[in-house]
Amino acid sequence: MSIPYFPGCTLHVKAKDLDDSTRAALAALGLELTELPEWTCCGAVFPLAQDNYMGMVAAARILANAAKLGDGRLVTVCSFCYHVLKRVNFAFRNRTEARNKLNEYLEEHYNGEVTLLHPLELIRDDVGFDVLQDRVYRRLKGLKVACYYGCTLSRPAEEMGFGEPENPTIMEELVAALGAEPVGFSWKTKCCGSYQVLNNAALAADRAQAVLEAASRQGAHVIITSCPLCRYNLERLPVGAAGKGESEARLPVLYFTQLLGIALQLPATTLGLDSHYLDALKEARA
Amino acid sequence: MYTPEMLRLIEVVEQTREKRLQETFPRLTAEEKTNLLRSYHPDYMEGAMRPLKIGPNAGEKLPHAYVDLFESRSMIDADGLSLDDIAYDVDVLVIGGGGAGTAAALLAAEEGADVLLVTKLRHGDANTMMAEGGIQAADKENDSPALHYLDAMGGGGFYNIPELVRALVNDAPLCIQWLESLGCMFSKYPDGTMNTIHGGGTSRKRMHFAHDYTGAEIMRTLRDEARNRGIKVVEFSPAVELIKDERGQCAGAVLYNLETEQFLVARAKTVIIATGGSGRLHINDSPTTNHYGATADGLVIAYRAGAKLIYLDATQFHPTGVAFPEQIVGQLVTEKVRGLGAQLVNIDGEQFIYPLETRDAVSSAIIRECRERQKGIPVPSGYGVWLDSPMIEIIHGKGTIEKELPAMFRQYIRFGINMAEQPILVYPTLHYQNGGILINEFAETQVPNLYVAGEASGGVHGRNRLMGNSLLDIIVFGRRAGKNAAQKAKTVQLGKLTLEHVRRYNEELAKQGLGQRVAPILLPDYRGKISG
Amino acid sequence: MTAEKKTVSIYVMGKQSEVPYGVTIMKAMEYAGYRFIRGCGCRGGFCGACGTVYRKPGNFRLKVGLACATMVEDGMHLTQIPFYPANKAVYNLEALEPTLGTLLKYYPEITRCLGCNQCTRICPQELPVMNYIATAQRGDIEATAHQSFDCIMCGLCASRCPAEIVQYNVGILARRLYGRHIAPRAKHLAERVDEIRAGKFDAELDRLMQMSKEELQKLYNARDIEQ
Repeated sequence: MSIPYFPGCTLHVKAKDLDDSTRAALAALGLELTELPEWTCCGAVFPLAQDNYMGMVAAARILANAAKLGDGRLVTVCSFCYHVLKRVNFAFRNRTEARNKLNEYLEEHYNGEVTLLHPLELIRDDVGFDVLQDRVYRRLKGLKVACYYGCTLSRPAEEMGFGEPENPTIMEELVAALGAEPVGFSWKTKCCGSYQVLNNAALAADRAQAVLEAASRQGAHVIITSCPLCRYNLERLPVGAAGKGESEARLPVLYFTQLLGIALQLPATTLGLDSHYLDALKEARA
Repeated sequence: MYTPEMLRLIEVVEQTREKRLQETFPRLTAEEKTNLLRSYHPDYMEGAMRPLKIGPNAGEKLPHAYVDLFESRSMIDADGLSLDDIAYDVDVLVIGGGGAGTAAALLAAEEGADVLLVTKLRHGDANTMMAEGGIQAADKENDSPALHYLDAMGGGGFYNIPELVRALVNDAPLCIQWLESLGCMFSKYPDGTMNTIHGGGTSRKRMHFAHDYTGAEIMRTLRDEARNRGIKVVEFSPAVELIKDERGQCAGAVLYNLETEQFLVARAKTVIIATGGSGRLHINDSPTTNHYGATADGLVIAYRAGAKLIYLDATQFHPTGVAFPEQIVGQLVTEKVRGLGAQLVNIDGEQFIYPLETRDAVSSAIIRECRERQKGIPVPSGYGVWLDSPMIEIIHGKGTIEKELPAMFRQYIRFGINMAEQPILVYPTLHYQNGGILINEFAETQVPNLYVAGEASGGVHGRNRLMGNSLLDIIVFGRRAGKNAAQKAKTVQLGKLTLEHVRRYNEELAKQGLGQRVAPILLPDYRGKISG
Repeated sequence: MTAEKKTVSIYVMGKQSEVPYGVTIMKAMEYAGYRFIRGCGCRGGFCGACGTVYRKPGNFRLKVGLACATMVEDGMHLTQIPFYPANKAVYNLEALEPTLGTLLKYYPEITRCLGCNQCTRICPQELPVMNYIATAQRGDIEATAHQSFDCIMCGLCASRCPAEIVQYNVGILARRLYGRHIAPRAKHLAERVDEIRAGKFDAELDRLMQMSKEELQKLYNARDIEQ
């Protein structure tokens, strides 16, 4: 059975590897994704003002279009998309005024019927981490993994429902199922610097540096994330924009779906992985 | 929405469809075609023409609407208007913002000329925009420019000027390649091979197209390119008279700002007329497929300047204009509908002409079917015949019409007719000016430094143009005119500007007791009527 | 058709006129005495010159349509949009790359799309305008080119866009990028151009040009026709 899937704009351009690895890894687990026939940008940022309905219309229409497919679910992986869609869906389900106002802009009525799912949730609920454990071909024994959630996946807690807001654990559960070792990591829900990279690169660099150092201190070999912007900030900044040269704390940064794909022994190309990552991982475990 | 009576007649068409799918109606012999044209083509209608009394073509018979224009006086006072106050001073002046004018302006600019394009309406408001069906070029392996030459000559009744036809067929592939390089989205197969089909009178499938927005795609691409290149364009400013210098060279034009109603002088070393056709003159009171601005302005001003006309007595009626619904009567149903396999059918559900005969022949056959044989289908404006469009869906698969003929499909859906399921009603409509201002293969007229390109010119199509040769004509001769005019401009020395030729023309009119009307008319006048 | 003398009342820029029922806005305005300078072009739905804003009685919604393709209705208030001063980027097509970066360089405002869908709702060609801007936002130039192909550049989408996107100009940039840089070139065309430049057909054309009408006619009547 095929599940409706919203990739998001970034996954069609800069984060093609997140898109590829998500589809490939889930397919390997028997979860086929079908891209929505028509979709727009989700809006990228959930509006700060409660009554800024215009900023929610795009996400509302995406959810309404997904509802038309009748599956009842919608999967999205990018942390920003997940954040926006989840909160707009929450508004539909829980705020009468928001629901009424937004429906005035939609072509067809929507009431929050769709359940938005992150692939982590989908794997947990539809496959089960215990079952996954048995299906992993290449147990990532000895690999220490820092699971980085950033700020958008788990907060605000009531709306996101992604576990403990300051200490979510679903990614760690996945890592454990792959046979690797999740490391405790105090910066895992702190902000990477986000869009500040555009107008205050130094600030973003400092944030990213701090995340990397915190992970490094716990002996992590690799950081995983589900967010293209987090990855961008973590991966690029410590070396480039911050001007500090090759950081000691520099770690490989992967999407969790790529790590999952490695464990499922999918070819590196289907995961959008450069071979140097694989080398780095090998080295780390040596 | 069809009337209940029409819906009943459609059943007749449906009943014979299966049989007709197997049936190829015999083509006309040369003799049959000649007789058909003589008896039924509107060009041969009694009383439709009269001899022109003035100018280089005096004595020739032309449709009344043209004679009226050429026997009209100028809009301007040739003695009173000062030519010293020059508003625009350029190398090349292009009059007309359609496909031919824009191609000319692009090529002239490429030659390094300072170009000004003036146009009566908006840049791109032109018949080019409405050309749906396609553009011919012999670029497939089984085809050759020689075959294209033969088809064009035969279509034109062998009246075409050989040098012009040669230029047309020789440049055709070059022009398609030029358009391709400008990003025109021709319909292609995945490997890049052009999708080409037949048009009426073609011996090879050489009709290139972009769905049924071929002209629009070409026009908007050329216009976008002109804007990118920074070509100066002045809109809503038609040329209402040419200016010469004392040596008789064409030296610019008097423009008329339609909004401020001021006359402005544009001086230029060379001038290109690309003002298009004349459908809005409604020759024979016929409805027309043409653009609002198709009023033969360029013919009028060139004729007063001494340019000769050719084949202006040959008018092309497109066989398939809309006959129903009433709101869009006369609008074009592209020949591509027949190119894709739809047959023409009478009230009894029978074919009466091979669908891809040349346009003059098909038009005549439809007129004969309705007038003489009384087998037309009554519509509010007279009668029509069926064009059995659902055949396309049977031949090429369901959804073909919406995919290949989106403009047509959309046009009919607006009026509650689904042409993928129901046949449509058509009747010949005034479509194209086969003749025009005589040019040579360099797009030169007999007036020094005056060039003409596109529908305003005459000779290349003989007395009947083939489908797909007009979009080709505007590109081929637009480019030639632009390039040659720009090169010529480099050596031109202009003398004192004069409107002496206009003054003399007005005098001659007065002498003959003519000149009661004013021309060019610039815009048709439908005030107080339901027309056009 | 019931073309009896039935009339409807329309208000052209506030001025009332009685016009025949069942005609287009364009013909009704002419019947009412207007002679268009702006606001009229091909009269057949191809050129985009006659964008019109109208409102029906008892309804707050402003609607738009082409005057040449929209029927008058009783009580309709209307005005035309003869010109819209929209931004058009200037570029050298040949030097461009068919990438998202190119689209964003010339039309960065596409990222401002709010998803309100007004553009799609009002498009007289019924194109998925918002969607082709969405595909442009993610650099899918081919999708934008195809989805915007039937655009007549009337500008009505831009006139309603709260994000001030000029959708139709984004569309033509995408189409030209696609046609020039993405769609495969026609090989047979390039070969034929080379042959023409090399003079391959000159002798045959020379020969045809010398022929009498009768000779040509004979050849013409005997020519074989591709099936």
